[in-house]
Amino acid sequence: MIELKIDNRTVEANEGETVLQAALRHGIEIPHFCYHPCLSIAGNCRICLVKVTGRPKLMPSCNLAVTPGMEIETDSDDVIAARQAVMQFITLNHPGECGICDKAGECRLQDYHVRYGEPESISLEPKNKKPKFYDISPRILLDSERCILCSRCVRFTKEVSGSHQLGIVERGNHSRLERLESQPMDDPYSDNIIGLCPVGALLSRDFLYQSRVWYLEPIRSVCTGCSRCCSVKVWRRNRHWHLRSLGEEMNRKVYRVTPQENREINGPWICNKGFDLHKFMGRKRLLQPMIGGSVATVDEALSEAKKLLAAAKSPAALVSAHASNEELAAFKETLGSRMTVYSREDYKAEEGEVVEDNILIRENKNPNSHGVHAMFGDLPWSVDSGHDLVLVWGDNVDYTPMGNAKVIHLASFEMPQERHADVLIPISTTFERSGSFTNFEGKVNRFTKVFDKPGLVQQAGDVFGRLGA
Amino acid sequence: MTEPRVFFNFGITDDSHTLSAYRGRGGYQALEKALRTMQPLDVEKEVTTSGLRGRGGAGFPTGSKWSFVDKKSPVVYLCCNADEGEPGTFKDRWIFEHNSHQLVEGVLLAAYALNVRHAFIYIRGEFDLSYRRLLLALEEAREAGLVGERILGTEFSCDIIVHQGGGAYVCGEESSLLTSLEGFKGYPKNKPPFPAVKGLYQAPTVINNVETLATIPWIITHGGGAYAGIGAQNNTGTKLFGISGHVNKPGIHERPTGYPLKKIIFEDCGGILGGKALKAVIPGGSSTPVLKGFEIENVTLDAESVIKAGSMLGSGGIIVIAEGTCMVRLLQVLTRFYAHESCGQCTPCREGTAWMDKVIGRIVAGQGVKGDLERLEAVTSGIMGNTVCALGDAASMPVASFIKKFRDEFEYYIEHGRSMFDGRLEI
Ligand SMILES: Cc1cc2nc3c(=O)[nH]c(=O)nc-3n(C[C@H](O)[C@H](O)[C@H](O)COP(=O)(O)O)c2cc1C
Ligand code: SF4
Ligand code: SF4
Ligand code: SF4
Ligand code: SF4
Ligand code: FES
Repeated sequence: MIELKIDNRTVEANEGETVLQAALRHGIEIPHFCYHPCLSIAGNCRICLVKVTGRPKLMPSCNLAVTPGMEIETDSDDVIAARQAVMQFITLNHPGECGICDKAGECRLQDYHVRYGEPESISLEPKNKKPKFYDISPRILLDSERCILCSRCVRFTKEVSGSHQLGIVERGNHSRLERLESQPMDDPYSDNIIGLCPVGALLSRDFLYQSRVWYLEPIRSVCTGCSRCCSVKVWRRNRHWHLRSLGEEMNRKVYRVTPQENREINGPWICNKGFDLHKFMGRKRLLQPMIGGSVATVDEALSEAKKLLAAAKSPAALVSAHASNEELAAFKETLGSRMTVYSREDYKAEEGEVVEDNILIRENKNPNSHGVHAMFGDLPWSVDSGHDLVLVWGDNVDYTPMGNAKVIHLASFEMPQERHADVLIPISTTFERSGSFTNFEGKVNRFTKVFDKPGLVQQAGDVFGRLGA
Repeated sequence: MTEPRVFFNFGITDDSHTLSAYRGRGGYQALEKALRTMQPLDVEKEVTTSGLRGRGGAGFPTGSKWSFVDKKSPVVYLCCNADEGEPGTFKDRWIFEHNSHQLVEGVLLAAYALNVRHAFIYIRGEFDLSYRRLLLALEEAREAGLVGERILGTEFSCDIIVHQGGGAYVCGEESSLLTSLEGFKGYPKNKPPFPAVKGLYQAPTVINNVETLATIPWIITHGGGAYAGIGAQNNTGTKLFGISGHVNKPGIHERPTGYPLKKIIFEDCGGILGGKALKAVIPGGSSTPVLKGFEIENVTLDAESVIKAGSMLGSGGIIVIAEGTCMVRLLQVLTRFYAHESCGQCTPCREGTAWMDKVIGRIVAGQGVKGDLERLEAVTSGIMGNTVCALGDAASMPVASFIKKFRDEFEYYIEHGRSMFDGRLEI
């Protein structure tokens, strides 16, 4: 432990910490653009300058190691003057276009301008022109006029994703962020830089102009893209801003998915598949219970299923790796002991998808295989196991290997089949329920319901309750 | 001549730069002496005793710089800073063109003192003859067993690697020189860590200017005490001064420190062109604050005296400005240079240098407005002390000092939309 003084307050810091880190940990705000706890120190934005007693020059607090007895001032006149100067420099060529900028509302530059900047620029010169809305990948647009050249995104591709696909080219005030290869960026972690960017220079094509961020609210959820089970924020429209004129679709929509920091599991990052989670969940839904391919009510479907179960001599169940731990427990309690339980992986890596790496992405493309295996073992389904009824739970199922067995299917998404299930019951997606998954390391991660499920859609746990009763 | 000479001690002929000529003048005897009779620490001690201060611009005591390095570290690097890019500075070039061997010997002596196996010379990319002369000298030295394995048959081995810069002034700043040498874009680094602790490839590294290193052989031959006896007390020795601008005989002169500035201009360089009056002097390379003609009256060429006058000795590149010169347009030449050379890494310098250049450009174009000078002053104080490297300060000092010293000229230009001094300087 090292003791130092920040603004006359005695603060305890850890060995090896910087003044900025110690200050932030104690709730003392020092503005910073280029510093990020998970990236190397660049020290280029200069907004974090502080005064160190006994040193002639102001020092960047992000690159200033704590030493015992050190005295720091974060709000002396010279610090404030330097900060105002840096704000003036940063905004010198920055377009004042918050009105049309997606970052507005969560923009560090906007916030700091209000807190630390002078209201008026002292410059008379026209602003520099730079490329706007320039594609750096099919997913991301770059607005070089807004870029403050903090190099966070560059350091991310060097130090975190390892793709080295971005760099700053040219020099002086011609400096410009650029992809370093002629082909578009294909870094599977690229979308992290959108949120990492302290300003609105990196824009998500998917989210572009979809909403002002202050109409949205994040709900904590878990990505189902692989067995890492990264924490994510799922952004829905704030209830106070549900407007009839927008229509049902816009009011009930996931606008974007962003990382939710989780030190245990994914740190501050997720992969692009996680950023696309809402697209995965937005596929064509199964909304209607069916019996043998004909429309049925929920009650009819359930009683038909119950009948089939009672008649079966050798029933089996294929359990979904997208089921939550809570649903698995409900199944175990109600039906599990009456049937042979097989585990299935709903999804496999698709062509072109990163199968596995040593950053986050795991080979098993389902969130809860660990939970399934822990409860039911990992017996894989085989065609000739001689069952006369199969309860299939989960998506992406082909009935062909079921042979002549009767099929009761609980699924969330539509999938064309050669034959009809004998009973088909629509169930909720991860966005429509709360629960938990256990990731490949055995770490449990919880998710919260984002939306209510549509009318006829059922919660799997309830279905098992009724079938088992 | 009774004054001792470290550099100007031979007549320049067609082959005075060769190894045999250098040896004929006693060249490489300092190396022999050091390798055979001195321990590495003795070499460092002589340099400390000599009082030699770095000739790259900052004037840091060389012995003390060397003492910061942990010589027990498995690898220590030495980099010779030969990027000489500051406008008005052209002394290192003289050393390369006329006596590269003296530098090579200096590098070897420093390498011996610092336990360096590989030394680097980072040479300005635009230097052509200098580069060729250096390569020739190294080839000769290698063949003669003066560079490479077991130098002069001793246990000491040292290779010298030459790297040509890509044309960026900022790569003369020591930390960006290292970044550039490592193969990256020449961005300066924040300090700490200092190069003496973590420099090239993360190893302890000493960076010294060409002139600094080329002085070492003389110090070893004659002793640190002898060197300390030359020139000014706190800024010892002789120094190369490059005088350019409106003088009759511009060029390089070696003078002991403490030599009168006026004398070098009016006697050694033959006075001002066309017999004009002296208007101003930039005493140490373009980044040092300008002095008005009358301010140099008692200035002598050593750090203390020039600082007392309000400027810096810098690299010893003296720019002489005659009466009739438009300081506004002269300043534009400088601001354009610094705006062009800012690496763009840190906010105040990236934005500020270009901003100052735009404002000066506007004033020169006759579009200046009231408040522009205050604006420029605000920009300089926003940059100074707030940047990653000293280029930001280097760019601001001329602006601040020009406006301070020649405010009336700037005000006139803004008010009338044209210079007080119309047309070209008639000489
Ligand atoms: C922008 C900038 C450019 C510089 N250019 C040079 C240069 O061209 N040559 C040089 O020797 N030192 C240059 N320096 C100074 C070096 O950073 C460093 O102080 C010097 O090489 C140390 O050598 P010395 O101790 O022998 O003087 C420059 C510094 C700055 C800030
Ligand atoms: S980046 Fe921030 S400050 Fe700049 S236009 Fe966008 S919201 Fe405004
Ligand atoms: S795009 Fe954003 S993150 Fe990247 S350098 Fe510019 S401001 Fe920083
Ligand atoms: S690593 Fe796996 S869990 Fe994490 S975001 Fe990517 S697909 Fe989702
Ligand atoms: S002061 Fe200028 S040259 Fe130095 S790092 Fe900053 S931008 Fe680059
Ligand atoms: S946060 Fe310290 S310089 Fe950017």
